[in-house]
Amino acid sequence: MTKISSTFNRRRFLKGSAAGAGLLAAPAIISSKALASSGELNFVGWAGYPSLAEKVFPAFEAATGIKVNFKELPDQDTMFAEAKVALQAGGIDVIEPTIDRWGGWNSNGLLQPWDPAKLAMDNYLPGLADGSAGERSRANGELFYVPSNWGTEALVVNTAEAKLSDPPSLGDLFSPDNSVTLRPHSALAAMGRYLDAQGKLPRPWMDGYTDMAAMVELWDIALAEAVKAKGNVVQWWSGENEANAGFVANGATLGLCWDSTGYNLRNDGYAYIAPTEGAFAWHQGFVLMKNAKNIEQAHEFAKFVSTPEGAAGWATAFSSNPVGKGAADLMDPSVKEYYNGTFNDEALAKLWWWPEQTAEFIAKRTEYADKYKAS
Amino acid sequence: MQDMLRRYGPGLTLLMCLLVAFWLIMLVIVPNITLFEQSFRPYLPVTEIGGPRDTYSLGNYMKVFDGRVEKSILGFSYTIPVHVYTFLLTIFYSMVVTVLCFLMAYPLAYYMAKIVNPRSLPTLILLLFIPLWVSEVLRAFAWWIILAFKGPLNALLQAVGLIEDPIRWTNMGYTGVVIGLIYTYVLFMLFPVYNAIQSLDTNQIEAAEDLGAPWWKIHWRIVLPHAKPGIASGSVMVFMLSAGSLLVPSILGSTTSQWFTQTIDQWFKDALDWNTASAYAFLLLLLCTLIVTLAMWLFRVKLSDIAK
Repeated sequence: MTKISSTFNRRRFLKGSAAGAGLLAAPAIISSKALASSGELNFVGWAGYPSLAEKVFPAFEAATGIKVNFKELPDQDTMFAEAKVALQAGGIDVIEPTIDRWGGWNSNGLLQPWDPAKLAMDNYLPGLADGSAGERSRANGELFYVPSNWGTEALVVNTAEAKLSDPPSLGDLFSPDNSVTLRPHSALAAMGRYLDAQGKLPRPWMDGYTDMAAMVELWDIALAEAVKAKGNVVQWWSGENEANAGFVANGATLGLCWDSTGYNLRNDGYAYIAPTEGAFAWHQGFVLMKNAKNIEQAHEFAKFVSTPEGAAGWATAFSSNPVGKGAADLMDPSVKEYYNGTFNDEALAKLWWWPEQTAEFIAKRTEYADKYKAS
Repeated sequence: MQDMLRRYGPGLTLLMCLLVAFWLIMLVIVPNITLFEQSFRPYLPVTEIGGPRDTYSLGNYMKVFDGRVEKSILGFSYTIPVHVYTFLLTIFYSMVVTVLCFLMAYPLAYYMAKIVNPRSLPTLILLLFIPLWVSEVLRAFAWWIILAFKGPLNALLQAVGLIEDPIRWTNMGYTGVVIGLIYTYVLFMLFPVYNAIQSLDTNQIEAAEDLGAPWWKIHWRIVLPHAKPGIASGSVMVFMLSAGSLLVPSILGSTTSQWFTQTIDQWFKDALDWNTASAYAFLLLLLCTLIVTLAMWLFRVKLSDIAK
């Protein structure tokens, strides 16, 4: 079932968008299959985390009898593209985007809300499915998103060579004393938040995420400042391998990178440090496709990942943090120790969750990243 | 067609025609028409596709003029749309790659066609072909490793005492990209030029030598004019492949280099705006074709010369 190859889908999509009618038959074929065997779930998630299929799905199947058909995709943009196709072709029930992106999915008409009564909302750790994260999981009062794991983007530091201010700040990324590896759009946001914390912005950085006029005003300032300090960037990264190579092969001493980068380098003289402005934090979770066929199974699945066993399995697979209460005790001790080394209560309280970014915002953000790279 | 029928019989001929038709229609024409049609429509939420806002316009194409940046050349500063700037640099460095490929390929092609002992020619050609058997990704990565800050090139230069501090080869503008593209595409220049020079009658060169022409004049007046179609077809291939390459600029690009294909890729993958991405892709195709046509007109090469 997961083996509907993407070329097949793509071609079907292309033909469909040209001819239209031919598509209508496809969902019917799939739905009859789905009805015939109710004990399965079509899940589209992240590629490169083998312990999901090795450990978590078998545990879920043992607990509920529901078989997970897992399709792995490399990034969210591919997932979005796949979901757009699936809206017409069917075949996907649950996908795993991040909290800042599902708004764009929803405005594209891809999603339907979860039914909280069929989940166990009390299972989640405080602050992950309630509070501000809870608000951002909802649209028009309906719950569209439930968390699966979370992580951060902060300073990966070569402890011997990087020169940090006290306390370490996002501004250190733009200091000529350090050779840095960055990804363009995160770097601009870091510059914005740094300037904001210094009181050098005419209005709060957060305004840019809700008001496009404010976005242009603020990002123009951040871009100009970042371009001035671009001389110390030694490499861009866009994924785990490039970030790692930026430090190991190209000699970066400091970077704004995912926690997994810091974790992988933890024994090579690098530390993972939360800046005083607060680490960027992301939140990954499940959304339900508008044309999902296995809705009961999808709720069982999301609920399982909020239990200690499911949450710990999920977080271990991603080398990230669990969302369920009691899951931390089941985690690998080295992962647990690594996170506790970076985040004390104060750093946790300062976490800066990536805000929702609309399609229009992302298009504009891409333009700024372009200008930054081309400068 | 008659010839094919007689040679292969109706069954095989039909199969071949069908395969060619499938290749052309399904893999070239249909995807390109879809892309072309998409490029005139705005990027809309799925629910609004086919709605009142879904109209044809040139809006996606005009986006290339958005987002001006300030640049300066020789102290003279001007503003230019960032994507136009990227495009011009892509064209410029593709031309640099083409010229450098020619400079490297021409002497070798001449040596292979006229000087080397014919018995060792197969070995020479085999040696040249071996790198082509390795995947393009691996070859680009190999160069990335060689040029890395803590890579073998710096280690070697430091060991022999040529440099004291390691050099950031991969962070010097378009250096890495140009090196990678030359390495990837130089053979596309070599073989057409070799073919062209090979067809030159060696007697002509000997006659020129007998009449006392210096070596550079022999090349300028006899070999180069004869090889012109080969040079033209090699240049067209190298230029188009370079301008359209995504892999090499992504892997070997520096923090200041940006290839136009990377901009297209960003529209597809970062901005999720497939429509604008399609428009940019067609702009690249169209303008590159124009530039090639212009260059062929300038150098007085006809399309039929290349096909020879």
